[in-house]
Amino acid sequence: MRKEGLARWIVIFLVLAAIVVPLGSWWLSRAQGTQIEMHARMPENGGWSIDTIQAKVGQPIQLRLTSDDVVHGFAIGKSDMESWVSIFPGEYVETTLIFEHPGKYTFYCTRWCGPNHWRMHGDIIVTGEGDPIPSDPLPLFLQYNIDIDAPHYAENIPGSPPSAERGARFSNRLPDYAIDMQTYLLTSPADLWLKLRSEPSLSDLSDMDLWDVVRWIWDRQNSSRTQSLGVKLFMALASAAHGESGRGDGVMVRGLPVMDHSRMGSGLVRPPDFTDPHVLLGASPALLEGKIIRGGMGTGMPSWGSILSRDQIHSIISYLYTIAWESIK
Amino acid sequence: MTTRLDLTRSPRTLALLRSRWAQFLLRAITLAGFIFTILAGLIGSVVGSHNFAIIFVWIAWWTALKLAFIPFGGRSWCSICPIPMPGEWLQNGGILQPRGRAGIGLGKRWPKSLRGTWMQAGGFLLIGLFGALTLTSAKITAIVLLFILVLALVLSLVFERRSFCNYLCPIGGFTGLYAQAGPVELRVKDADICAAHSEKTCYTACPWGQYPLALKSSANCGLCMECLRVCPSDNIAVNLRPWGSDLGPKTKHRLDEAFLGLVMLASALVDSAVFLGPWGQLKSAAYNIGSPDWFLFAGVFLVIALGVLPGLYTASAWLADHLGSARASLRKSLAYYSQVLVPLGLIAWIAFTISFAIVKFGYVLPVVTDPLGWGWNLIGLSKSAWVGETTSFSLILQVALLMVGLFWSSRVARRISDTIRQAAPLIAFSAFITLAMLWLLVG
Amino acid sequence: MPMKALPFKTALINWKRWAWAIPFAGLALLILFIPLPLPFHAPQDRLLRIEASTFQFTPGEIQINPGDRVTVELVSTDVVHGFSLDGYDFELKADPGQTATGTFIADQAGVFRFRCSVACGNLHPFMIGKLQVGLNLLFVRGIVLGLLAISAALISLKNVSRGMA
Repeated sequence: MRKEGLARWIVIFLVLAAIVVPLGSWWLSRAQGTQIEMHARMPENGGWSIDTIQAKVGQPIQLRLTSDDVVHGFAIGKSDMESWVSIFPGEYVETTLIFEHPGKYTFYCTRWCGPNHWRMHGDIIVTGEGDPIPSDPLPLFLQYNIDIDAPHYAENIPGSPPSAERGARFSNRLPDYAIDMQTYLLTSPADLWLKLRSEPSLSDLSDMDLWDVVRWIWDRQNSSRTQSLGVKLFMALASAAHGESGRGDGVMVRGLPVMDHSRMGSGLVRPPDFTDPHVLLGASPALLEGKIIRGGMGTGMPSWGSILSRDQIHSIISYLYTIAWESIK
Repeated sequence: MTTRLDLTRSPRTLALLRSRWAQFLLRAITLAGFIFTILAGLIGSVVGSHNFAIIFVWIAWWTALKLAFIPFGGRSWCSICPIPMPGEWLQNGGILQPRGRAGIGLGKRWPKSLRGTWMQAGGFLLIGLFGALTLTSAKITAIVLLFILVLALVLSLVFERRSFCNYLCPIGGFTGLYAQAGPVELRVKDADICAAHSEKTCYTACPWGQYPLALKSSANCGLCMECLRVCPSDNIAVNLRPWGSDLGPKTKHRLDEAFLGLVMLASALVDSAVFLGPWGQLKSAAYNIGSPDWFLFAGVFLVIALGVLPGLYTASAWLADHLGSARASLRKSLAYYSQVLVPLGLIAWIAFTISFAIVKFGYVLPVVTDPLGWGWNLIGLSKSAWVGETTSFSLILQVALLMVGLFWSSRVARRISDTIRQAAPLIAFSAFITLAMLWLLVG
Repeated sequence: MPMKALPFKTALINWKRWAWAIPFAGLALLILFIPLPLPFHAPQDRLLRIEASTFQFTPGEIQINPGDRVTVELVSTDVVHGFSLDGYDFELKADPGQTATGTFIADQAGVFRFRCSVACGNLHPFMIGKLQVGLNLLFVRGIVLGLLAISAALISLKNVSRGMA
């Protein structure tokens, strides 16, 4: 019967449409190939769906990012926070990358997505003509052979909060080395205080005066802009482990034992308590820079060398000292 | 005098019911939609809220089933359900062909020992045990749907008629059970005409294996209208009727209806606790299938569904029997009083669905415009889904509904008992279930 | 015997059978909606520190008084979570390591569910907690209504013996 035939054709047509439309579009989208579709997943679920992206100098890379589980973020290592992109489950966000220099770049997740969030890295290998990426200088701890795993407990700390304003009064009496950039980088606040304490020309200054001077020296190395950047970076990247106050009690390290230097290397421990002035005042910026770049050798502190630029690292360091100064009662 | 409105009295409605085309087009669309849903689940976004399969199966269709099809149409979904269609078309030898002529299939009778709604109840228990994962995984939803489609097809080639629908489909199980309370029925108009008709074309045509003259309950009639189409005397009526018409002192019920009714109630309670409660550990336990926590959850669920609730119900039925004048066997009492579970369960599930689905209705349109979650924009909508909330209105609505359910089941209990005393145990049982649902949904 | 369908008009005329329902319906509306005086608690300032993990709020059930000025601190412990309170225009979103804080006044009494408002995994739509502001009056009304429902059911069948309804 004609009607039966028509009915059969209708069924075939509708069912084929139901099959062809999704499969066809899926096939078409793969065939297009100008965009790279990247799925972000928690490392437990596979991490980035593409580990390594190959690209050419000057060639735009169109990324189509989505998340398969929780909120993630995407950024190229050492890029400004303004360029960080958030990725929401099921939603697509597009971004285009262009690299002017050949070399290896890192991309990473910028929003905490579980305890293994810091492992979410991938590489972008850029080949082609041109000068390679200007590389960062050698880390200070390597340049100057500093043992960044050595204990840095400051024996002497101020008895009350030091003030940079008060310290500024003595600025014209200081020896040249005191205000040298090199000195700042390689000396801890406690060590600098000791050096100044042993200067005959400053023997009339009280202990507290000298602490004010040290504070003034530290503050003039760090503008308010680097300070605020440091806070933002610390909150986005570190506070989940280090705690919002820096106490080493972040949500990600609950259940880990408290750090004890005698137990170094024997398993994951909590980060140190930055609100204890003895901890940071005994550390030089070079030491802190080294720890941030290299990571903690078995303590769970990630290596940030390919993720953060030197400027970003030093802005975080300046914030760390602020935590230390402001935890002195 | 019973209150019935025969829809076939209206010529236009009769023509519509008789038309194979109207029904066929609906079925073709649901079949294509079903296949699309399977594909969407398999290759679409793994994020459930952005996948057509999850949203349409567990939110849109489930809500339509619980809030529209069943309470206002009885077993009406079954008349347009796509799952048995491929098999049925093969059995009939064509899409528009009536049953009984050419066709493919062995046409075996379904084994007697496997009849009843026992397996359907078991199927619904499985949905409860694996629900937390299935409802949130597009791939698993798709695999389950594909499995059901293939199973129904295979069964149609081996067994006669709609064996899958009658004895295996978990949805069919409770749809049939609650259709007894529904406002639609199919009955013969004049039994004398049937008596004079020897050929029984209606029985031959019925995919459900029902004999319209003997149809006393709407539980097993899928409203497919085949009997209506082949009856030479236009003797089939499709009546609108008051709710609860298949429940009463003179109606017949079986033990498996009691079991299914209890499984449905247990599932409503456990699902309310798992999906709507504030207990995250319970949700994770239900989700992590195979973990020790899940085994604990499964154990507790089965104890409630197979032990606690049946135990309470049996005690109520036994007590009711002993408070009456006549004595019946426990088995008979359990079967007889199972009617009380029907309105109780129907309303409990409607109330649950309001909490469960209304909150997620905001996902429906976004998933129509982007069914695979690939960033499409088919009907030009903004893609952000609004997340609903339970409002004071929806909460009051749920309370009102639960009270209607309690009123209704108490009425059924009273009607089928000799005295108020005899009805009391079952009314108490209904009150207990209602209180539990009230606390879970609104407490 | 042939079952003749009653014309709808005749069915409607039998409304007198349902007249008993009217006082019950009125009573039901009263029970459901009548404003009741609530015990007075002096409103106080409260700090609710709520931790969010997948898929649980801790604490998941909270009790406060109407009129309280509530400050919520949302602490996400594993991934980005949100906090959205039904019935109040109040929402927070927090990354792990960045506690989000917000304040609202609990001027509506009742039980309100709060939900995670940032997709955080498969069970995200079911990440729910409960905030009880004052008494759960609706629950109490429900119980009273239940007793009414049972009485209505029995009274509606008062003059009918088995087999005739």
